[in-house]
Amino acid sequence: MIDEQLIQEIISGNTLAFKTLMEKYRERVFHVAMGFVHLKEDAEDLTQEVFIKVYLSLSTFNHDSEFSTWLYRLTINTCINFVNRNRGKRFLQSIEDVWQSAFGQHDNEKTPLEKIEVSERNLLIKKAIDSLPAKQRSAFVLSKYEDLSQKEVAAIMNITEGAVEQLLQRAKNNLRKKLGPSIGN
Amino acid sequence: MRIDDYIDNFIKGEKQIRPNPFLSTRVVAEIEKRQQAKAEKTLRWQAVMVAISIAAISLLGITIGNAYVDSVSQEITMNINDNEIEKLDYYLFENNE
Repeated sequence: MIDEQLIQEIISGNTLAFKTLMEKYRERVFHVAMGFVHLKEDAEDLTQEVFIKVYLSLSTFNHDSEFSTWLYRLTINTCINFVNRNRGKRFLQSIEDVWQSAFGQHDNEKTPLEKIEVSERNLLIKKAIDSLPAKQRSAFVLSKYEDLSQKEVAAIMNITEGAVEQLLQRAKNNLRKKLGPSIGN
Repeated sequence: MRIDDYIDNFIKGEKQIRPNPFLSTRVVAEIEKRQQAKAEKTLRWQAVMVAISIAAISLLGITIGNAYVDSVSQEITMNINDNEIEKLDYYLFENNE
């Protein structure tokens, strides 16, 4: 069933159609959410929040763009709001993450020192991604986590393809600048 | 390894994480829970509104009742038709004797 049909079914009260739509898009929403929060539990909460919003506001979807574009837009806005709401909490969580990934997992191929190194590097990358300005971060997440083309990202963010290219380039430069002194070789 | 490769590896690792397969069931349950709560809230408000309406109508009735001013004069006029009055002489036996 195509999206249009599913949407009509959902508006007329078919919960099963909503479940079908969710099955189709949940991984995409989840991956975008992961790009913003880097934590499975938070990403699942965000995915839930996004789909509840979709269900409640589906009747306002005016079919000007594709459903997936509208959904990505909704996801990005929900993620940005979530990140702004939980700034303090996230710092403590990231410290806990390093500890967990260094000592919680059983990876026999790596020595404890290597594990700590990887965890610390990952924490630095997370922090660098999180410190990007909202627009650069949105473009970066959509492009890297969802492998969307610049054209698709431009449609979602309602900007030109040239602007997307610029945002991605700036995001890349910012990440290199931030990570260079600590993990660059 | 270059910085870009580290970033790509990190993203690759995050992309491998899969959401809970029961996530859609959880979402549908949450939507139903919210809709139920909304319906209960609406019902509660309906009851409150009915009670308020009854109270308002009663109060309005009392107010209107109290505001009524009797336009009829309170003076009592004695209208006695002498012809219709029974003659008391009949009862005064003293005079008939």
